[in-house]
Amino acid sequence: MKKVFLPFLIYLAFISESSLVQAFLPQDNSMDWQLVPRFSMVLILFVAIYVNTTYGLLYGLAFGLLTDLLYTDIIGVYLFSMAATAYITSIFSRYLFGNLIVTLLLSVVGVSILEFFVYGLNSLIGISTQMLDVFLYKRLLPTLILNGFFAILIYYPFVKQLNQIKDTLKEN
Amino acid sequence: MPHFFSNKRLIILLVSIIILVALIGFSMKKRESLTLPEQFLKDSAGLTQTIFYKPANTLAGFFENLAEMKQLYKENQMLKARLDEYAKLYVQYEEAKKTNETLKAQLDKEEDLTDFKVREATVIGRSPDQWNQFIYINKGEKDGIKPKMAVISPQGFIGKVTNVSLFQSTVQLISDNDRTNRFSAIVQGEKNIFGTIEGYDAKKQALVFKKIPVDAKIKKGQKVITSGLGDVFPPNLLIGEVIDIEPDEVGLTQTAYLKPSADLYDIDHVMVLEREMPAVDESLREKEEE
Repeated sequence: MKKVFLPFLIYLAFISESSLVQAFLPQDNSMDWQLVPRFSMVLILFVAIYVNTTYGLLYGLAFGLLTDLLYTDIIGVYLFSMAATAYITSIFSRYLFGNLIVTLLLSVVGVSILEFFVYGLNSLIGISTQMLDVFLYKRLLPTLILNGFFAILIYYPFVKQLNQIKDTLKEN
Repeated sequence: MPHFFSNKRLIILLVSIIILVALIGFSMKKRESLTLPEQFLKDSAGLTQTIFYKPANTLAGFFENLAEMKQLYKENQMLKARLDEYAKLYVQYEEAKKTNETLKAQLDKEEDLTDFKVREATVIGRSPDQWNQFIYINKGEKDGIKPKMAVISPQGFIGKVTNVSLFQSTVQLISDNDRTNRFSAIVQGEKNIFGTIEGYDAKKQALVFKKIPVDAKIKKGQKVITSGLGDVFPPNLLIGEVIDIEPDEVGLTQTAYLKPSADLYDIDHVMVLEREMPAVDESLREKEEE
């Protein structure tokens, strides 16, 4: 039960991204904003920060591949970006003390690293044609706010679970 | 950070970049069908999405209803005025339909290029990063859906089916900027003017309609429909309305910008169209061979 809990939770977050965009995007579109839910990435960042780097990296690879296969046409963009983001963020977290503010900061930094990776790679391939200033104001900023809220919302219950998982890992 | 780039890690990074480039190169080729593991993944994700989309849609619908209630009175007034117009149009339509049928009967013509089979489907999800404009529908191979079929919403043409697994399929919207996402279209008018739709301009919030001959005269507000050339999509599906025209960089052709007639964001139910008769009749081809 404990072993499936974490992948299952991240998978739920992953699927809910698609449903949320489908159901709630119409209202936001009138404001000319692009809100992109990166809930699975935020959860993976928490795992990378609170459990260990290897776990974060593996989940990043697995869910990056899933994102590529299910939500995009090109394999590799998210596979690379999500794994790299999880790795970089967990390196940062070694130098910082884990509390709510620091974790919020790290997840915001993580999500922006991911957005920049994906934006860069997609611009190279020709999928995104947005200019950098439009990207920063209309996409990155609203996205960071949305995912920051999500990070605050899940912080207490999720970190408690993660600490338990880390303890059982130590015992083994 | 002393340990950030040790030798071993640098090599791993380089190797993973090579793998990344190889993977992207591999998947940029347009593939007709999905591999089995891909199909399995898509189907199982589709199953979970079906569970999710119902409560999400109900919640979204509730908020939408609240917003709509304010405008109901105004809208009602307007619709009542339109109703009289509708009655008049309906009589005309019935008459035209009857004449059409009798004329067809006289000509012994049963099938028509414009005939198509319609399958209804519900949208269960959408690509969350808004770089890729894909939606996912709950009908798949077992319902007879095949790649390249045209997809419309009640307001107009929205895109094509790109890949199909057993229980769900992926629809690429016309606003997707993929370089293989091209549609042949006509500007409706006294003379048909041909061009292709090539992606979406995010700044103008309009579809880009390219390769229009330089001497063609297009006015703002003219309707653009699918051409039906190329054997894939049925003709006469409404795509949008011209809002702006400009000559292209070289000056050999013109580029028009279209406001899509269908809302490409608020899509709940779609219809998948299958063309009944291919553009080139098989019997005709056989006769030519003889």
